[in-house]
Amino acid sequence: MSNVECPIAGKVLKINIEIGQPVGEDDELFIVEAMKMENQVYGDEGTVKEIKVKIGDRVQEGDVLAIIE
Amino acid sequence: MAIDKITELQEMKAKISQGGGEKRISKQHALGKFTARERINLLLDESSFQEIDVFVKHRCTDFGMGTVEAPGEGVVTGFGTVDGRLVYVFAQDFTVIGGSLGEMHAEKICKVLDLAMKMGAPLIGMNDSGGARIQEGVDALSGYGKIFYRNAIASGVIPQISVIMGPCAGGAVYSPALTDFIFMVDKTSQMFITGPAVIKTVTGEEVSAEELGGAKAHNSVSGVAHFRAKNETACLAEIRRLLSFLPSNNQEIAPILSTKDASNRIEDKLNTILPDSSRQPYDMLEIIKTIVDDGNFMEVQPYFAKNIITCFARLNGSSIGIIANQPKVLAGCLNINASDKAARFIRTCDAFNIPILTLVDVPGFLPGVKQESGGIIRHGAKMLYAYSEATVPKVTLVVRKGYGGSYDAMCSKDLGADMVFAWPQAEIAVMGPEGAASIIFKKEIANAENPEQTEIDKIQEYKDKFATPYISASRGFVDDVIEPSTTRPMLINVFKMLLSKKETRPSKKHGNCPL
Repeated sequence: MSNVECPIAGKVLKINIEIGQPVGEDDELFIVEAMKMENQVYGDEGTVKEIKVKIGDRVQEGDVLAIIE
Repeated sequence: MAIDKITELQEMKAKISQGGGEKRISKQHALGKFTARERINLLLDESSFQEIDVFVKHRCTDFGMGTVEAPGEGVVTGFGTVDGRLVYVFAQDFTVIGGSLGEMHAEKICKVLDLAMKMGAPLIGMNDSGGARIQEGVDALSGYGKIFYRNAIASGVIPQISVIMGPCAGGAVYSPALTDFIFMVDKTSQMFITGPAVIKTVTGEEVSAEELGGAKAHNSVSGVAHFRAKNETACLAEIRRLLSFLPSNNQEIAPILSTKDASNRIEDKLNTILPDSSRQPYDMLEIIKTIVDDGNFMEVQPYFAKNIITCFARLNGSSIGIIANQPKVLAGCLNINASDKAARFIRTCDAFNIPILTLVDVPGFLPGVKQESGGIIRHGAKMLYAYSEATVPKVTLVVRKGYGGSYDAMCSKDLGADMVFAWPQAEIAVMGPEGAASIIFKKEIANAENPEQTEIDKIQEYKDKFATPYISASRGFVDDVIEPSTTRPMLINVFKMLLSKKETRPSKKHGNCPL
């Protein structure tokens, strides 16, 4: 079980995953808008168990965006 | 009679070179670790190692030490060559009373440090020790002190490289901390001031040695170490590679390695390497790989503060240091860790006559309470100080963004960059268009019939006029705007021009670098 952590404070722009989807280390899971840029968020290999945010949410550095099994 | 003496000498040397004996050597090997002499022989050019001080003995008689034999005093010292260049080495011998440091063990290390300073050659220290030899009490403390003092005095005179190849705990960590570069090996090296056992007793926190002070912890989290290797063989090969980018001392320049990579190589792919939208990230390492000799570069602290890249590379054979923002991580902005990492690298290059190339794509400093209370003000100041202080050739290329104070911090013209270039897509401005327009055109937007549309128009107006390299170029803050495909030949030509650069600073004991 691992948490997908938000790397930079900003706004959730895009969610590229669904619950139950298998994901790899190099897959772009989320895009967080910060510093006028689209920041990609990556996570560990596994299956998406839970998605904790929706598009437009304000997030802080370290916030858990999703849980991977 | 003479032959007997010679046989006796040979037997003594053979015995000492076995260190703590077969059993302890096997234990070392079983853990994936080499012995001290094996490490030295792997590091240095074949058969180049000359060992000294094999017969040094401790003189402690307290706590039964009078009968304890410590072959070589638990450390192997001497000199040899790496790629034909003189280096001094010490390697602690864990098989001899745990490689513990006592008075004479420290004397051996001090001797090679003193020789390295006199001869102007790099020193490589391989740490693998249980720490201070408690039985020797304050003599062991004094031994450490003597080493730390020499590390500090030698700093900036000769390259000093520390390799952690076993435990390095307590005061012992300060010698590596005072040196220029620290290498660590996964799973078999740990550094900490107080270990898991003491931490558990004092604070109740439970943590393993590897988690607390292993290669990953110090390379990714604390920023104490600079390189991380999967095993000792790979580690020693990387040390040889690092040495090739450094001079032997501060009076020399790094060796020039000839290359078949043409100095006039035009790369069309650079014309289209940036995404169309400046909101999109890309990998700055791709740009670096394309412009340097043979695509070859060696990153320093690659796992720490990944939002900034610090690496050694070559242009037309000459060693250079590159500092570059990485737009893929934290939008390439500057923050506490990036400032520390960059400032340290700049000063290392300056100390050792290595010219500096800065590649800029920075949107600003990272905002946040954490950064402010963490002291981003004094950490960011380190970058400004380091760039200003440096007298090596300094060339800056603005690839895309260069906004505000962070643009200054990335070696702007006014910080002493000898040459500043920009790609046509560069956006050099005091502030991003959105922020700037909302301040400058505040009244106009508020009084307009359609404030929203006016704001959008004003942002575009600011962007077209100011988010370009041409205003800076019109002042001479940018020396030229260049076609990206010509970057490599242009940089090679400019660094060649800067070879004879001489710059002095006002006479002072030393500056007061923000720390």
